[in-house]
Amino acid sequence: MLNNMTGILSTMLSMAIPLVLAALGGVYSVRSGIMALGLESMILTGAFTAAAGSFYSGNAWIGLLCGMAGGMLFGLCHGVLCIRYKVNQVISGIGLNLLATAASTLLMQIIWGNKGNSEAVASLNTKLTFLEDIPIIGDILSRQSVLLIFTIAACLVSGWILFKTPFGLRMRMVGENPKAASSMGVPVRRIKYIGVIVCGALAGLAGAYLSIDSLNMFVRDMSSSRGYIAVAIAILSRYNPFNVLLCGSLFALCDAVQIYVQGYGIPSQLVQMIPYIVTLLVLAFGVKNIQPPAGVGKYEDE
Amino acid sequence: MRKLTEKLMNASPVMISVVSFLLAILVSCLIMLCCGYDPIFAYSVIFEGSLGSVRSLTNTLIQATPLILTGLAFMVGKKATLINLGVEGQMYTGAIIAAIVGMLDLGMPGSLQLFLALVCGIVGGSLAGALIGFLKVRFGSNEVITTTMTNFIIINFCDYLVNYPLKAEGAVAQTNKIMEGALFAKLIPGYQLTWAIVVAVAAAVVVRIVMDKTRFGFEVRAVGLNMKAAETAGIRVGGIMMKAMLFSGALAGLCGAVHVTSVGKRFISGFSPGYGFSGISVSALASDSPLGIVAAGIIFGALKTGAMYLNMMSQIPTEFVSVIQALVVIFVSAPLLIRSLLGAGRRSRKGGRSLA
Amino acid sequence: MNSVEMIDIVKQYPLVRAVDHVSFSLGQGEIHSLLGENGAGKSTLMKILYGMTQPDEGQIRVKGQPVRIRSPKDAIALGIGMVHQHFMLSPVMSVTENIIVNHEPKKGWVIDEKRAQQEIQTLIDRFHFNIDTRARVQTLSVGEQQRVEILKAIYRGADTLILDEPTAVLTPQEVEELFTIMRGLKQDGKSIIIITHKLKETLAIADRISVLRDGKMVQSGLPLGNATTQDLARMMVGRDVELNVRRENRHRGEDYFEIRDVCLKERGVDVLKQISLTIRKGEILGIAGIEGNGQTELIEVLTGLRPMDSGEIAIGHQPVTGSAHTFLKRKIGHIPEDRLSRGLVSEMSIQDNLILGYHDEPRFLKKGFLDKKNIRQYAQEAIEEYMIKTPNGNELVSSLSGGNQQKVVIARVFKQNPEVLIAAQPTRGVDVGAMEYIHRQLLRLRDEGKAILLISADLDEVRSLSDRIAVIYDGRIVSVQDADKTDELTLGLLMTGGKEEACA
Repeated sequence: MLNNMTGILSTMLSMAIPLVLAALGGVYSVRSGIMALGLESMILTGAFTAAAGSFYSGNAWIGLLCGMAGGMLFGLCHGVLCIRYKVNQVISGIGLNLLATAASTLLMQIIWGNKGNSEAVASLNTKLTFLEDIPIIGDILSRQSVLLIFTIAACLVSGWILFKTPFGLRMRMVGENPKAASSMGVPVRRIKYIGVIVCGALAGLAGAYLSIDSLNMFVRDMSSSRGYIAVAIAILSRYNPFNVLLCGSLFALCDAVQIYVQGYGIPSQLVQMIPYIVTLLVLAFGVKNIQPPAGVGKYEDE
Repeated sequence: MRKLTEKLMNASPVMISVVSFLLAILVSCLIMLCCGYDPIFAYSVIFEGSLGSVRSLTNTLIQATPLILTGLAFMVGKKATLINLGVEGQMYTGAIIAAIVGMLDLGMPGSLQLFLALVCGIVGGSLAGALIGFLKVRFGSNEVITTTMTNFIIINFCDYLVNYPLKAEGAVAQTNKIMEGALFAKLIPGYQLTWAIVVAVAAAVVVRIVMDKTRFGFEVRAVGLNMKAAETAGIRVGGIMMKAMLFSGALAGLCGAVHVTSVGKRFISGFSPGYGFSGISVSALASDSPLGIVAAGIIFGALKTGAMYLNMMSQIPTEFVSVIQALVVIFVSAPLLIRSLLGAGRRSRKGGRSLA
Repeated sequence: MNSVEMIDIVKQYPLVRAVDHVSFSLGQGEIHSLLGENGAGKSTLMKILYGMTQPDEGQIRVKGQPVRIRSPKDAIALGIGMVHQHFMLSPVMSVTENIIVNHEPKKGWVIDEKRAQQEIQTLIDRFHFNIDTRARVQTLSVGEQQRVEILKAIYRGADTLILDEPTAVLTPQEVEELFTIMRGLKQDGKSIIIITHKLKETLAIADRISVLRDGKMVQSGLPLGNATTQDLARMMVGRDVELNVRRENRHRGEDYFEIRDVCLKERGVDVLKQISLTIRKGEILGIAGIEGNGQTELIEVLTGLRPMDSGEIAIGHQPVTGSAHTFLKRKIGHIPEDRLSRGLVSEMSIQDNLILGYHDEPRFLKKGFLDKKNIRQYAQEAIEEYMIKTPNGNELVSSLSGGNQQKVVIARVFKQNPEVLIAAQPTRGVDVGAMEYIHRQLLRLRDEGKAILLISADLDEVRSLSDRIAVIYDGRIVSVQDADKTDELTLGLLMTGGKEEACA
């Protein structure tokens, strides 16, 4: 029983990393007034560029940076489309998601000549082994990636930035009322670009974690809608980075339970539905009165 | 000349679509060049493989059939402001239900069974669509996320069905074959093309009439363009959204049903290479006009057919078509981008003249 | 020395020249009124001064120095602050947060909230603003929000203030308070530009007056002593205007539209409290009140857009219940408050907008199909009858001017011959010509014996059109009186809840 518990908790933590990172990215994007429906593309691209970077350099850390860069590139594209060309933010996100799926599959075939997954590449594989000696939880923590610490720190720091620093106040004002921010001399566009690019970096990192940390290769469509689940997490956490940590873990728990239950002979197709059903239920019953910042999806920022 | 460029600047939706499409093709050429392929060769092969002979032409139309239907499905949702990414899932629903109805020996005339299978598929798809509408209207759930989630749920469930209770004998996860009589008849003897394409075009005509000439269409347009004004005019916005999702789901369901009763001949696990998502591109390229969707469906169908032919001749992966489709969605949604590109082109041409 | 000089400014938009060789100067420590109609170019001129848009020609000098103002940031640095007509505030954030944004006092990397609070409190005390720095802006009254806006400018060290239509949303009492504040600021050495189209207020507060018309400066820096209402009105409009519409007709009929004890709760708060009103045939009942006292909710209830919690609505003693659709069918016409959000679908054709809401009438709809021929013919009639300036009915509504858009709304409702009309802000944002036209149409409808409920934020409009005036305050009707027996001061007092009276 205890073994099962530690197993589930350990899986939960490792599943939480990409979800929390991506959702945190979503928070930055939404707080600056841009819908985050392109998260999926940023995760997928991050996963792909991380694998490619690791493949060519042979160094997983360089891969990690490439993953972030890939995510940022898509974040920037989303930003340019939404901010400069005033594209409908939902459509832009979806267009980019389609593009990321198509482009990653295409490039995977060109680079590795395979439609399903890449060759094995160098993976990060740095665990928190130094935490082994902590009683009870040491066992769970020591199996986790170093990115776990980064993820937790990123949430705490982000909360501090958003609610305590001048930059955070400006970003919140841009998201709530871009016209007001602009009339006070806040560089609205610049802040929005920062929002989407930080979003891309975090989501790219989430993707990199998937491809070169928890695995050692890129797999077609490996983001498997985590981007959309991350959007749900961001909403549920009321766009508050501290809450993201909590809500992300909750969703990760579903993933962990799903993986755990698969060992008991229930058809995997049915079990795999669990996280999606949970997300659906949360969206239907959990987030009814949560309003995004008032300026989200609007274009009159001049 | 000046008039022409001015026309381009005030670009109509059709112009935006054409330019977007050409730009996307251009990008695909650049990708081919980067990967060491000759784009001119590639596109001549694609042309030959998609339109060069009666056989390739019929193949193009076969590919176009699901694209037209999913394009229509997406468009109907979008007219009511709903981004229905669930076309894929709704199509699976229609397909599995039609496959079940079609494979049973009901002891009725084949054509009647086909009709029944299509109707059941439509009903299944529309219910799946209506669920999304319900979540949106009742709980305000973002349909982009709910549709993505339901896609996974539905597709996994179908997978479960064809792996366990409905599995046909053999290694492949698929249902039994649909009764011979309940399949679509061939349109031209000797070719694979069936009457399914006619159904798709007919669906486009029906959608056009409904959207353009009926009260429902008028109300959908009003809701889509200004929800509050529509509400003020006594239109039940929630009801219209529900109905639009129902309609959208019905078209998606029809697509699935048509697929299994024509080229598919049975429900095969993972039969769709993302038809539902291609529908987004088709609808974008057609700038949401129903008859334009027929044309756009055929264009993308031709690209796909040609790309598969090309893939047999060379190593160029067919996925570049998906890249084109994705780019079309992005470009069409960014008329300002297109206009500024056209503007830049005009300026540089002007500059060239003054230098000369 | 002049605190601001704008010399020979030109601003060309694609279709109009919004500002045409205008020169303007603001003296140190004066209150200068910039007068003009909607669309005369006042706002554009001030947006140029505040760096929100760039002039095509001309020069700006601040305290004698030529400057270029490329953005609000530059303007703020030059000591220019602007209070916008639509407040630039975030309702969910605190007063302090709204004020300090982009000008935050810092302690290390974080915002020094304590110091921010103190600094703002000092300003509040100095000018007697009386607001809580920690309150969320959405909990403040409109007047208080305006003071937050003024604070934003002063906090940044502005000594030149631009107030854009500051009285549009205020009650007469609040206007007085604002004027007191403005005089206080003047004594403190600030220079103030007040953009307005209200003559009375101009004469009450300004030291000098400039008048803009059609983008041109028709009168520059006229000292207050030399100005008369009639002169200013003529300069603004370019011809003699009747400042008051006459209300002659006296054919009030029987009680027709009855509202009894209507109550509505929103999130547990009572927004409409036992509202009872009766409108007779051939009568305009005006509702005066500060925005946000339940008018919007009342309109929504009376047009079936929102179900009431309790109460009754009846036409000619027949109760009306149901959805907005039913209310339309029962011949309750509705001119919505905001034509662009509720009134029109701007990306649909004029023709479609003219039948919107009535598109299921048998003459437009045959067996579920729209009868395009009849619709076109009907639209053509409406366009001619209501003088909507457009080449044809297939044009999009978005291609029309504000006044013509409003005419589309009016034509749609009036052509259906409603028995009851709910007219909310019927002339908001239209030019004087369209306003006169719409007023005439309303009076015509009244003379035809219809019952009209007029809800307007413009007290002058309510007073000049209504036969009786009801005052709404905090979701309650606090008074109903014959229009002749009211005076502005009492109405203003009632609008702020200052004095409650038994319903007449």
